[in-house]
Amino acid sequence: MMAGEARLLLLGWSFRGAEASRTVRERIALTSAEVREALDRMRGEGVVSESVIVATCHRSEIYGVSDDDRPFERLADLMSRWRGLDVAEVTRASFSREGEEAARHLFRVATGLDSMALGESEVLGQVRQALRLAKEAGSTRSVMHRMFESAMAAGKRVRTETEIARRPLSVASIGLELAAKVFGDLTERAILVLGSGDTGALFAQQAIEAGARDVRLANRTPERAEALACRIGAAQVAWEDLAQALEDADVVVGATSSPTPVVSREAAEAAMRGRRGRPMFFLDLAVPRDIAPDVAEVYNVFCAGLEDLEGVADENRKRRGREIPQAESIMEEELARFLGWMGNLAVVPTVNDLRARLAALRDAELSRIPPEDRERFRAFADAIASKLLHEPMRRLKSEDDTSRKLDRVEAVRHLFDLDRSE
Amino acid sequence: MGSHLLGWLAVALYTGAEALAIVSLVRPRALFARAVPLAIAAGLALHFADLMHRARELSSVPYRTLGGSVSFFGWMLGIAYLVLLLRHREQAVGPFLIPFIVLATGIGLALPDSASLPREGLHGSVFALHVTLAILAYAAFTFSFVLSMLYLVQNRQIRHARTGLLFARLPALDVIGRLNRTSVTIGVATLVLSLGLGLFWAERVWPSLADPKIAWAAITLVVYGFLLWMDRRGWAGPRVAVLSILGFGVVLFSYTVVNLYFSRAHSFR
Repeated sequence: MMAGEARLLLLGWSFRGAEASRTVRERIALTSAEVREALDRMRGEGVVSESVIVATCHRSEIYGVSDDDRPFERLADLMSRWRGLDVAEVTRASFSREGEEAARHLFRVATGLDSMALGESEVLGQVRQALRLAKEAGSTRSVMHRMFESAMAAGKRVRTETEIARRPLSVASIGLELAAKVFGDLTERAILVLGSGDTGALFAQQAIEAGARDVRLANRTPERAEALACRIGAAQVAWEDLAQALEDADVVVGATSSPTPVVSREAAEAAMRGRRGRPMFFLDLAVPRDIAPDVAEVYNVFCAGLEDLEGVADENRKRRGREIPQAESIMEEELARFLGWMGNLAVVPTVNDLRARLAALRDAELSRIPPEDRERFRAFADAIASKLLHEPMRRLKSEDDTSRKLDRVEAVRHLFDLDRSE
Repeated sequence: MGSHLLGWLAVALYTGAEALAIVSLVRPRALFARAVPLAIAAGLALHFADLMHRARELSSVPYRTLGGSVSFFGWMLGIAYLVLLLRHREQAVGPFLIPFIVLATGIGLALPDSASLPREGLHGSVFALHVTLAILAYAAFTFSFVLSMLYLVQNRQIRHARTGLLFARLPALDVIGRLNRTSVTIGVATLVLSLGLGLFWAERVWPSLADPKIAWAAITLVVYGFLLWMDRRGWAGPRVAVLSILGFGVVLFSYTVVNLYFSRAHSFR
């Protein structure tokens, strides 16, 4: 893991910390602009030679390369001074990792294995955003760049090769998934949400975020529906026109606080007649029910209630959990690949690899000349190679800036193709 | 008759494609997904060579015998599946349809070919087109049968909010419904054409058109025609799927019982 004197390190504050340190975590949480500032400050104080900060609602994590003797103390001190916090509190609320463990943590974050909702996908975008910000701030070099790219590759692989991110956990997403298995693409389907309270608003918002373009809201109090419709970019339907609205809707979501069902079997049958039998999907998120139970008996009508959706959510949580071993194995495979690359970045193995490459070239050329001349030419070739390598190798070894040294080793390995497996 | 080595190699390739399709269904892998159409295409090429070999040995069309016709039916089914796979990129139907290709090809190869000389009139382009279209229609109806079964399975899973492997992998009901409609439409169109050509041809070589197989082909047409009418009249959904499954029962009856026991002159033997 060591590359010269350089060490990978991680200092973080995450949701996994103790409840008592929540205030510290909240005050350390960084916006995008603050991330840039933090990267500048860390570089300015010379704690790290390269760094990236992953900042989400649930975590603030500083990844870096440093040859400092006390990098964690200095980083905690910097953060406490900047945020006006007590350094002991900041340290207590934090966790730290070094070397391979720091890289492993990032890979776990990018693959969703460290997320509050196991396997969630948003974190991959947040890791990508972290690298982008660091690049813009000029705080990344070859190691951080490679580590984050490798972690994102691991994240993508885990999401395509396992089921860990495929099973939705929220009731609204599960409802949309069920409806999508009836209609295929929901983008152009009409989704009617009955009720503009918290549940209705949340569902309508999620449907729009999932790509639905035709979301309609109906509420007994039109002002509420109108305000919500304006806010989220949905259409509004008058409650008096419910019969026609039902007929026009492919998906109907019940989310009112009505004590009696809003949609009766007769209403559903009338809508189906108007639809000439085209299927309808009723999603009942209301307690008590908005959709009469016997609506499900109407031909080509599908109904799902809150208890069905919660059952699926529980099952999905278990299914995601069963994917952990496979996800971890993919994560470890990608991590090993990165660590292999990182291990090669030390100067001594690179010099050895370079000498071996030149020796192989020399032997290949010597095999073409008569055997009696070979010893003479071998000595000659070795002398040239040795003189040619002397100065570049001396400069490589004497470079003081850790990250610059790693960059140069990486350049030598790349130019002479030293990472090619023979 | 020959050993059908190429035909059996095709069966091996179809079986390999089935194994890959099942693995792909359980654990989707781009590599396996790409290998399935390749294995099917290679199988179809060998299968075609076997059918040509059979045609040379029979000195007639390869589907003049029962074995040849069943084998040709398997080949048609393979072609139809390949078109579906390449056009719609629909992977999940494969594991349920490929067994029919394997089964039809295997049975077609295992059935002994009679060494009889070509019967009177069983040649010419009208006859060849008539049989080809009839077998294509049967392949389309088999396709519809498989899709209908999948429709009912997916319909049940959605109703009971069972979101397991099949739920995740099978296409949406709307997609299965559309594929099914296309299959039945192709089946009906080709059967109508086949029947028309058959009647045109039979009128010249047969003394009478009173034939059980023609009658059953007409019944098949009525069933599937009714299905298409239902589909347009707002009954699309599980009822259409059930009718398609019943229709396939009629096809099977016509292809087996009627073909072997009721129809003397008009049969694959």
